[in-house]
Amino acid sequence: MPQQDRSIRVWDPLVRVFHWALATAFLAAWLSGEEWLVLHVAAGYTVLGLVSLRIVWGVVGTRHARFTDFVRAPSTVLAYLKDVLTFRARRYLGHNPAGGAMVLALLVSLALSAVSGLALYGYQEFTGPLATMMVHAPHWLGHALEEAHEFLTGLTLLLVVLHLAGVALASLQHRENLVRSMFSGCKQQELS
Amino acid sequence: MKQWIIGGLLAASGMMAAGLVTGSRYEGEREEHGKRFGFSLQDVAPVQNARYTEECGSCHFAYQPGLLPAASWHKLMGTLADHFGENAELDADTAAQLRRYLEANAADRVYAGRSRGIANSLRGMAPLRVTETPYFRRQHEEIPQRAVQGNPDVGSFSRCAACHTRAGEGVYNEHTVRIPGWAGRGD
Amino acid sequence: MKPFVLVTALLAATASPVLQAETVTEVQNRYRTGGAGPFHFERGERLWNSRQFQERRCSDCHGADLKQPGMHRRTRQPIEPMAPSVAQHRYTDPAKVEKWLLRNCKWTWGRACTAQEKGDLLEYLKRL
Repeated sequence: MPQQDRSIRVWDPLVRVFHWALATAFLAAWLSGEEWLVLHVAAGYTVLGLVSLRIVWGVVGTRHARFTDFVRAPSTVLAYLKDVLTFRARRYLGHNPAGGAMVLALLVSLALSAVSGLALYGYQEFTGPLATMMVHAPHWLGHALEEAHEFLTGLTLLLVVLHLAGVALASLQHRENLVRSMFSGCKQQELS
Repeated sequence: MKQWIIGGLLAASGMMAAGLVTGSRYEGEREEHGKRFGFSLQDVAPVQNARYTEECGSCHFAYQPGLLPAASWHKLMGTLADHFGENAELDADTAAQLRRYLEANAADRVYAGRSRGIANSLRGMAPLRVTETPYFRRQHEEIPQRAVQGNPDVGSFSRCAACHTRAGEGVYNEHTVRIPGWAGRGD
Repeated sequence: MKPFVLVTALLAATASPVLQAETVTEVQNRYRTGGAGPFHFERGERLWNSRQFQERRCSDCHGADLKQPGMHRRTRQPIEPMAPSVAQHRYTDPAKVEKWLLRNCKWTWGRACTAQEKGDLLEYLKRL
């Protein structure tokens, strides 16, 4: 796998497979919307499964996959963002503090999107694990869930856009292809 | 290599867990024989019986069999001489043929599209009208009276095709709804 | 060869109205063997327009002009015109004719029509 002798494995296969599978699942869910409910629901379940998996892996996984590696206090994140904007940001092998915050934000947003969707599925379609709970739910709750699901998924999309921007910016600033790294798993140990 | 295996196993078990959870107890109560998995891109599997369309679509919209449970279809086919106040008599052979088609493709017999949800919502009930299923009621709870009963271009919730522009294909999603004489989409 | 094809084509083109007339005649003949007849246009017309059971009339759904489509008064489903001159395909299946006469007599008149009444009605309709 290493292309040069200074290449190092950063992202393990699970992290990579998870990342691209999640992107695909979210895209599928976004595009299928109301029209292809079967696909939308399948994508939603996949998102939920993947997010759960990542949380577990974030506790027991490889070094750069663990939350302890990249989750930082808000003050650290803000300081890092300031550095980014002044072109002074340090390069990290794993997720930098801002990237780490984005990971958390996305995981939370996706999880809430999926759960609200599941509740809505139970309410509107009388199907799924939350159906029994939602059968007698009042109308206002059903309506609120619909709004919540729309909001949360829109928020996730916004985060995705910011994520893409962040990846692009970091790639430019440190002159490395972060997208390729998420495929190969490898980065240069040190940048010249 | 080891990590691929671990990763793959974890992913597989994660998704399997999700899948198991979906086949949950709430749907378990319908575990009888004769249920099949149908895959339908449409919300309800479209009618695929020319005889049904001809005989049952000549006076009203040809309601897809997946909109009602088998028990409802059975009742309906047994009372054609007084079909909601109309006479819809058929010869015994045709009636039997159609009843078989309807029951075999009923909401609680084929897991296709939203039929599953329709069947789930019933919890044993077998109403004669699609509009009386809890599923239908929930989907239409936000529609005001004046958009349907009070709307001269519609008149009744039973006239699916009046607003659902692709009802004949089994497609009912909100984006295909246009209430005649009513500004905006059906939402 | 060519004249043969032409003649066949012409015959085929005219077959439909021939079929239609045959269908109605076939049905009426069946009534005749049962003892009904002769059938009269005026009687059929009168039956068609009379108010029967619960004030119902054939024209309630089929409309006043049988060359125009009608409308089911409850479901608002359009009904093709009754006049064979406009919709001859509707009279090509005797079983279908009988089916609708059975149902619609029962609904409109509260009872099945007699063979005589059906024959008269068909006599009226077939000339439109």
